[in-house]
This record gives sequence, C-alpha cells and structure tokens, in this order.
Amino acid sequence: MSLLDDRTRQEVQKALTAMTEPVKLVLFTQGEFGSLECEYCRETRQLAEEVAALSDKLTLEVRYFSKDIEAAQALGVDKIPAIAVLRDGKAPHDFGVRLFGIPSGYEFGTFVQSILLVSHAKHDLSPHTLEQLAQLKQPVHIQVFVTPTCPYCPRAVLLAFRLAVASPLVRADMVEAIEFPHLSSRYQVHGVPRTVINEVIHIEGAVPEGLLMEELMQVNDEAQMQRLRELHRST
Amino acid sequence: MADSLELAFALNNAAPEQIWDVIVVGGGPAGATAALYLARADLKTLVIDRGLTAGALGLTGRIANYPGVPEEISGAELLYRMRQQAERFGATFLQDKVQSVDLESDPKLVFANTGTYSARVAVIATGSMGRSQRVKGEDELLGRGVSYCATCDGAFFRGQEVAVAGNTDEAIEEALFLTRFASRVHFLCPTPQLKAPEHLVHELTAQPNVKLYLGATLREILGTDQVTGVRVNLRSEGEIVLPVSGVFVYLQGGRPITDFLGGQLPLSETGCLQVDAEFRTALPGVYAVGDVLCNHIKQAVVAAAEGASAAMSIEKVLRRRKQIAVDWSK
Ligand SMILES: Cc1cc2nc3c(=O)[nH]c(=O)nc-3n(C[C@H](O)[C@H](O)[C@H](O)COP(=O)(O)OP(=O)(O)OC[C@H]3O[C@@H](n4cnc5c(N)ncnc54)[C@H](O)[C@@H]3O)c2cc1C
Repeated sequence: MSLLDDRTRQEVQKALTAMTEPVKLVLFTQGEFGSLECEYCRETRQLAEEVAALSDKLTLEVRYFSKDIEAAQALGVDKIPAIAVLRDGKAPHDFGVRLFGIPSGYEFGTFVQSILLVSHAKHDLSPHTLEQLAQLKQPVHIQVFVTPTCPYCPRAVLLAFRLAVASPLVRADMVEAIEFPHLSSRYQVHGVPRTVINEVIHIEGAVPEGLLMEELMQVNDEAQMQRLRELHRST
Repeated sequence: MADSLELAFALNNAAPEQIWDVIVVGGGPAGATAALYLARADLKTLVIDRGLTAGALGLTGRIANYPGVPEEISGAELLYRMRQQAERFGATFLQDKVQSVDLESDPKLVFANTGTYSARVAVIATGSMGRSQRVKGEDELLGRGVSYCATCDGAFFRGQEVAVAGNTDEAIEEALFLTRFASRVHFLCPTPQLKAPEHLVHELTAQPNVKLYLGATLREILGTDQVTGVRVNLRSEGEIVLPVSGVFVYLQGGRPITDFLGGQLPLSETGCLQVDAEFRTALPGVYAVGDVLCNHIKQAVVAAAEGASAAMSIEKVLRRRKQIAVDWSK
C-alpha cells in the first residue's frame, strides 16, 4: 500500500516542478522488515521511493548503513534512517542537508522543501546574515530536534537548511527526537523545536533568523564556547 | 517509544493554492462581524479562530446588554449566532491557531497549524485575553518540562505525571492528547468551573488518568535543570505540591494577543495595536479591530461595530471605490 494518497502525490508532483537542478537522495537503511534495529527504516525508504518517482529530476540511492561504512562516514551519517539531500547533475554538490528519522507529519513538507532548496539553492537570507556567515572561522553543525506533530518545527528546520545552503561551513540536520532517545537525552530535549549548534549552543523554539544568527556566531568566540562546554559538563 | 509516531504524509505546510480576498485572524464579535460584512459584499473571506470559548465573548457566562438579544444567553451562544450569520453570507470559519504571519509579502501569508493561508488583506481581531505575567520558574524551565504545545512535546512524557493549567477548549483538547502518553494528567483549572462546551468537559472527566482540580492557581514551577513539580493554590485546601515532570500552560490574562505578529506591526507602550480612523495599521492591507486595540470601551457591541467599519473600508479599497458604499438592498 502506498504511503502517499493521490491528492498528496499530485501536490508534491506539482511542487517538484519548481526544481531547477537535479537532486539525489541518498538513503541509509538497514534491518528492514521487522528488525528492531531501525524501526522506521522501511517506511522511510518507501516514502523516499514514492517521492523520488514524482520527478525525473529526482533520484534515490539506497545504501546499507552497516555495509556502506565509508559512504556513511563520508556523508556524516551516524544513525538511521537517514536521508542526505544532494545536488546532482553537471555540478554535484553537498550543501550539508540531512534528515535523520522519518520525515512524517509536519516534517513531510520540510522534506519536500529541502529537495527544492537544494535544487534551486535560493536561500533568501538577509544581507546581514550573509555577512555574518562570511565571517565564520570554523565548521558549524546545526541539529534541529523535532517531532512529527509539531507545527512550529518545520520553520526551525528550514532556517537551518537555508543556512547550510548559503555557507559551505554549515551543515544542518533534522533529527526526529522520538526515534533517537539517546540524543534527546544527551541534549536534554523535552520540548521541540530545539536547535543544538556545535553541541553546546541550545535554542528553544522556532526563533527568527536574526536571533538564531546571534546565537550561532558565538562559535567564533572560543572563550565563550569553552565556557558553554564547561556549563554543559556540570549539568 | 517510537510507536507513538503519527505516520501522516499530507503536504500541509507547502505553498497555499487559494488566495482569499480577506483573512480574519480571530473570530470573536469583532472578527465575526467583519466577516459578516465582508462576505455580504461578496469578498472571499476566511476566519481563522482558536475556538468558540477561547476569547472574551466566548467565555462570558451570560450576556444581557447586547442590543436586540433580550433573553439570557451565554457569550458562546451569541458568538455562535454571529458566526452562523456570517457563514450564511458565505464566510468560511476554520478552527485553528495562527502561529505567525508574513504581512509584508503580497499576498499576505498566515501560518496556522493546518497549513499556510494567503489573502490580499488581513484583519487582526485576536482580542486581549493574552497573558501578562509568567508563573515563577516558567521562563527558566521552558523546554525543560515547561511547554505550550502538547501535540509537539507530549511524547517526551510517556509514563510520567504532568500538569495542564487552563480552562478553555484548547487546554482540554491538549490535556486529552496528553492522556495518550502521561501516566497521570493533573488538570489545574484556575476558575471554579471549566469554560468549555459540555461534551469536552465530559470527555475530560471521563478519562481514568485525569485528575481535575477546580479553583486551582498555578503559583510556581519547581526544579533547577528540569521540572520536578508544581506549587498550586487550591481554593478549598490551600497550597499543595504535585510531583510532575511536565507542565503545559494554557492560561489567559488581559493583554492584547500580538505574539504571532513577530514585531511586524508597531505596538503602543501597553502592547496594543494602533490604527487610524478606518482601522488601518501601519502596513498597507492590514487592519485591526476589537479588544486588541484596547483604546476603547471593552464591550461586545463596540467590537462588533469596529468589525463592520473595517469591513466597509476594506471593501472600498478592494473594489477601488472612492467612498465607503453602504448597500442597503441586499
Ligand atoms: C468576563 C468577561 C465578561 C464580559 N461581559 C461583557 C458583557 O456582559 N457585555 C459586553 O458587551 N461585553 C462584555 N465583555 C467584553 C467583550 O467580551 C469583549 O469586549 C469582546 O468580546 C471583544 O471582542 P474581540 O472580538 O475583540 O475579542 P474576543 O472576544 O476576545 O475574540 C478574540 C478571538 O480571537 C481568537 N484568537 C486569539 N488568538 C488567536 C490566534 N493566534 N489564532 C486564532 N485565533 C485567535 C480567540 O479564539 C477569540 O475567539 C466581557 C469580557 C469578559 C472577559
């Protein structure tokens, strides 16, 4: 049985006509068909297959997490199910856009938007944000924790994805909090969206671009990052 | 743990297809009356409202001074009649909460839980039942057990005890959602009675894992890194402490509701929206009416009148008329 109903399939198909450059989804899975190791791997794979079939500019590559270790490492995939959304075609490029866990509920829209974003790379960020991003001195890893039933979450995830598209130093992950309880517990996630930047900068809620950037730019201040690391160790 | 995931795949937050002439945010007497006049002028009108009893009129027990309604009826009944009248002229009502807006774009975008809606004109009619004061501990423990969205965060509290503070339909619906996860839901109703339709109250009290406390004031949220409990004042018994790890807050107050505007419109010092004589805000195509303006008498009939005035000036603009035209004939 298909996961997408006819109406949704039509809507997605129509939305994907806005793709300019081809996109490749690299899906990492394993232990399908009932294994406990990856509860939503089968559904995530089916979902990716159904979406990939809706545009000839979109392809899907399925990889096995335990076998394709090098590929997983190269794409920074350390948990599954995972989808890396990559620019394909004549000038392939990895902007660092990742989805961990099944993009269901409100995150299904985020998934579709992430494909469009990687395809046309129109990030629509303010000139001030771009100036700030140009000043970054080190890599930035943004993890946005979400649940499928959270209406505020897509905005937080898409902002992180837009930053990733705009800056080669930024990588952004959507992380479905319920499927990765060890991470929720490591980062003390009890409410979503929660954005974690370079492990120690924590932001509650879907905040506006300016506010997120203010927090994010702390990564350039090593003394401040050290203080935050110590603070997190003590709690 | 993951068995709670909702596997729905509707594209509910993609770009909107239909463009409404007018979207009214808030369906109290101000918003419902604006919709009545707009729809009657053949403008495609959508009203997005959180719930019949979520606003000032909807939660008023008895209303005796609304002209033409001499019998004793509840505020919710009066509002229901206003909405029905607007629907009869073609207005559409949607029960949903507006989370944010983009009022500078053309068309204007309204982001709600069920999707994104767009319109040529926006009317803000959200009233002034917003909270002014936070409970002690609330800000410090936000995201560490304090939440305003049970549907977002309920799954983090599987098998744990939680508290819900509020008395409206919204609070009850969120509490019902939490009963799927929490071992016990302590429902703290600040008033002696719940202010919600009977069937919802029954549904809540019929849940085996809900404990209802009437006349319960949430005084403090306890905990350092994480919520460990709440201090509650009970009208009947005095103060008690409940050991909970989550607190979901849906309390109301007396402040204009403008948080969803994200600073796109200027506010007065007291947090009210500002308009000119035709109820226009500083942004073209954006109007505001009713208690959210707070520079007038807070009465249902006044709010309704403002809705009517704004609707007529909107019609003038959308139909490119020089003057407001009153159509007596329809
Ligand atoms: C206890 C009490 C008793 C009163 N008694 C009387 C009386 O006897 N006679 C009288 O004339 N007046 C009375 N009033 C005043 C009267 O109720 C208000 O002046 C009037 O309701 C204001 O109308 P409004 O449409 O501006 O706001 P409201 O009636 O508050 O309606 C606002 C609407 O906006 C909705 N809303 C808010 N935020 C959002 C959002 N983000 N998304 C979607 N929807 C949203 C709410 O659900 C609500 O339905 C009383 C008020 C109170 C509080």
